[in-house]
Amino acid sequence: MTNAVELREITKRFPGVIANDDVSLAVEPGTVHALLGENGAGKSTLMNVLYGLYEPDSGTIELDGQSRTFDSPRDAIDAGIGMIHQHFMLVPPMSVAENVVLGHEPKKWGGLATDRERASNAVDELAERYGFAADPDAAVEDISVGEQQRVEILKALYRGAEVLILDEPTGVLTPQEVEDLFSVFEDLTAEGKTLVFITHKLGEAMEAADEITVLRDGVNVGTVAADATSREELAEMMVGREGGLDVDAVPADPGAPVLSVDGVSVSDEHGGEHVTDTGFSVREGEIFGIGGVDGNGQAELVEAITGLRTPDSGTVGLGDEEITRVSRGGHIERGMAYIPEDRQERGLVMEFDLTENGMLGSQHIPPLGGGRIDWNGARDHAADVIEAYDVRPPAPAARAGSLSGGNQQKFVVGREFERDPDVVVATHPTRGVDVGSQEFIHNRLLELRDSGVAVVLVSANLTEVRGLADRLAVMHDGGFVDVVDPDNVTEEELGLLMAGERPEERERADVTADGGGGTRDESPGDGTDAGQRSTEGER
Amino acid sequence: MSRRDTIEAALARLVAASWIERLLLSIAAIATSIVVGGVIVLVSGMAATCEEPAFAFFGPTSCYDPIGVYVQLFQGAIGDVLGDPFNFRLALTLKETALLVFTGLSVAVAFRAGLFNIGSQGQLVAGALATALTVLFAAPFVPAALGAIVLVPLGLLMGAVFGGLYGAIPGALKAYADANEVITTIMLNFVAAQVAFFLVSSYFSAPESQSVETRTVPGAAVLESTLFGAGSNFSVFVFVLGLALVAGLYYLLQRTAFGYDLRTSGLQAEAATYGGVDPKRTVVTSMALSGALAGVGGAVWVLMVAGRFTAAVPALGFDGITVSILAGNNPLGVVPAALLFGVLKSGSLAVQLETGVPKQLVGVLRGLIILFVAMPEFFRLIGQRFVTPDREPVATDGGEPIEALQTPREAQSEPPGSEPGETEDGR
Repeated sequence: MTNAVELREITKRFPGVIANDDVSLAVEPGTVHALLGENGAGKSTLMNVLYGLYEPDSGTIELDGQSRTFDSPRDAIDAGIGMIHQHFMLVPPMSVAENVVLGHEPKKWGGLATDRERASNAVDELAERYGFAADPDAAVEDISVGEQQRVEILKALYRGAEVLILDEPTGVLTPQEVEDLFSVFEDLTAEGKTLVFITHKLGEAMEAADEITVLRDGVNVGTVAADATSREELAEMMVGREGGLDVDAVPADPGAPVLSVDGVSVSDEHGGEHVTDTGFSVREGEIFGIGGVDGNGQAELVEAITGLRTPDSGTVGLGDEEITRVSRGGHIERGMAYIPEDRQERGLVMEFDLTENGMLGSQHIPPLGGGRIDWNGARDHAADVIEAYDVRPPAPAARAGSLSGGNQQKFVVGREFERDPDVVVATHPTRGVDVGSQEFIHNRLLELRDSGVAVVLVSANLTEVRGLADRLAVMHDGGFVDVVDPDNVTEEELGLLMAGERPEERERADVTADGGGGTRDESPGDGTDAGQRSTEGER
Repeated sequence: MSRRDTIEAALARLVAASWIERLLLSIAAIATSIVVGGVIVLVSGMAATCEEPAFAFFGPTSCYDPIGVYVQLFQGAIGDVLGDPFNFRLALTLKETALLVFTGLSVAVAFRAGLFNIGSQGQLVAGALATALTVLFAAPFVPAALGAIVLVPLGLLMGAVFGGLYGAIPGALKAYADANEVITTIMLNFVAAQVAFFLVSSYFSAPESQSVETRTVPGAAVLESTLFGAGSNFSVFVFVLGLALVAGLYYLLQRTAFGYDLRTSGLQAEAATYGGVDPKRTVVTSMALSGALAGVGGAVWVLMVAGRFTAAVPALGFDGITVSILAGNNPLGVVPAALLFGVLKSGSLAVQLETGVPKQLVGVLRGLIILFVAMPEFFRLIGQRFVTPDREPVATDGGEPIEALQTPREAQSEPPGSEPGETEDGR
């Protein structure tokens, strides 16, 4: 049988990154194919190649056995490909029917006006054929997000799409809407349409897809049939194994608790809950690791701890002080260093040079900051960081934007580590950094720990968190599935935990530093709540 | 390379231009505008009828001399400096320059904070009215001997305070109600003008006057025309004050933590928040500072030029926007940019007086020069917003030390078709 979509050895490079490295993908007609991987694995790039947004550096595209090249999405649309982006491309004040026919309106009066009646009928007909409930005359801004997504699907179908690409379609939906979407998938494949959807949630891939292809770091790790695989296998494929972590960690000698997080819940402005009733505490001289597949609430939890976001409920304490509602600047003043996930959006001002970037966060803190900034001192400070962390080019006057990603990261890490912090919150501290510098950053992190700093280490790289952390929490669906001793946990167990399943018989490390006794409702002794809640969420 | 790539690459190149390149661009722009304007003058002169042609062009004759017009335009702005260094034409040039420095700085400082303050005009009106009324009311209580020492600083201070408060309004609306400052500042311009008109015509009008204006401020409060003759309405003190504000603002932006917060917010709000900057407070304080500078401009206009508040306030605030764009929103650039405006204002008066060229055509020539000089800077601003020259890393790790600095910008622009923020997985 000819494949509906056949991508052969696609390679797509961006300056400094290989987004897709020799990736092949075959999708059978009338099936649902999931493209699974972490953020930055190259899923969207691959689909943008298929949709004609990017031109591949090498490789070929075949549709129904015919070789194709696309110069633009228009070519791809003409070839029967439709793409539903994560952020909808709809015009909110216009009606459903108007949005569906946009750009391909049925005309009347010799092309002078849109034939609304025919547009409306066409939408009705399409909706009926695929079993959607859609009011063609409702304004898009008045309908729910799930319905808006269906309008996007209708739009693609109206343009004659045979292959539909959905980029993270469930990201914006409620659980009920996700169920509805998956039943729409069935209706579509029943009509012979072929679907490719991008996701980083392995549960969804297993539920909705016939076949699953896993991408990691731009490489196709493998394609498996959804009914012949397991969550653990997928989690392992996604996260991967890099060789053992080479650190000479002396066992931690933790002191008093420094950072305490208690019952924190975080939701976004749309009401979606990202973190649910999560708590832990970190002691002096200890690294608390938070692992798990990206997008399970780690980013939101970190924002709540570092003062970028106020949690809906729960408290964050630093030493004896509650800092839940203290401003971001207050967190910095109290000695919290923070390596943000996104160095180009947050960690650095791209237009500033390294001297100026070295002051980011310390601009109000003496001796260099305060009312007047001591720029000579700041230049020396930047030069020190550059030298210690091997930032290239070694020039304080270099614009941050002109540095490669790895060097940007090294500078951010250096700036934050050299703040003389009491607490370090490090998210993906070695992302994009070369091996030598990774080792340096790891050792520096251990040095900080040994000097009595409390460290929260968030990383999707399991080898890294396992090698460095003294206690390791695995996060799934907005909560900790479990907190384990990283030296006494097997890879298989971690794979299960990352998938949100908690092996019951396993021994747990304590959630709270002082033995966990009674500081939280959900004490570790009886604590299967988190795990149960998560597994329930999956079923 | 597609057309879009070409445009993006050109914008990225413009964004990356050094200040010397930008200066050269401005000079080239003036030269180009002179060529284009010269052709327009020549052709209009051929169509016009006159007693005696002023310029012959290989046979056909023109009533206007395109070269002479431009010579007058620039020479007329400085007058006969060698014979009389303090002549009225130079005074006019410097007076316009001084006034525009204040509003130019006002727009520039807001721009640096990432805010487009179209409301300098309204803030200037608020400051001017506050200054005039305060000085009029305070004058009787101030002993004559202390008049100038008390009234002038008091007037300037009130101008700054009320301009600042009026600027803080759109700042607060943006910070706490998410109202776009472009829209609110435009609307507040009308509010300021109409409220000032109402207040003056209903309560504070000069008894004997037919027009809407306050009484004349007492002589002690007037910024006397020094060096340049009486009637020039130009006080060197104001020029010095303007230069001091330029230097002070430059220091504030570049050397202080407040300036750092402001610039960081303007360039990359997310990073500013990460760095502990309170974004809402920064918006309000930046707009208040911007308004205060415009308010001082209003005070100076009342105390130096008009001698009272009248409803006919010149469009200094709007010209300030152009001045700021010409200056690349850099306080130091505001002085030459304002000077260009001053030169054109004074020079075009000379052209009207000395040549037969009608003033409408002179206006065209002025507009051409400003348009040509402003365009590169305008496109730079657009470029900064839409082209992110190097969001993608140049090289993988361990890149060569020097190359990384010199990599051509073109290679770093976003891949085509990608929207800002629609990077991998849309996160």
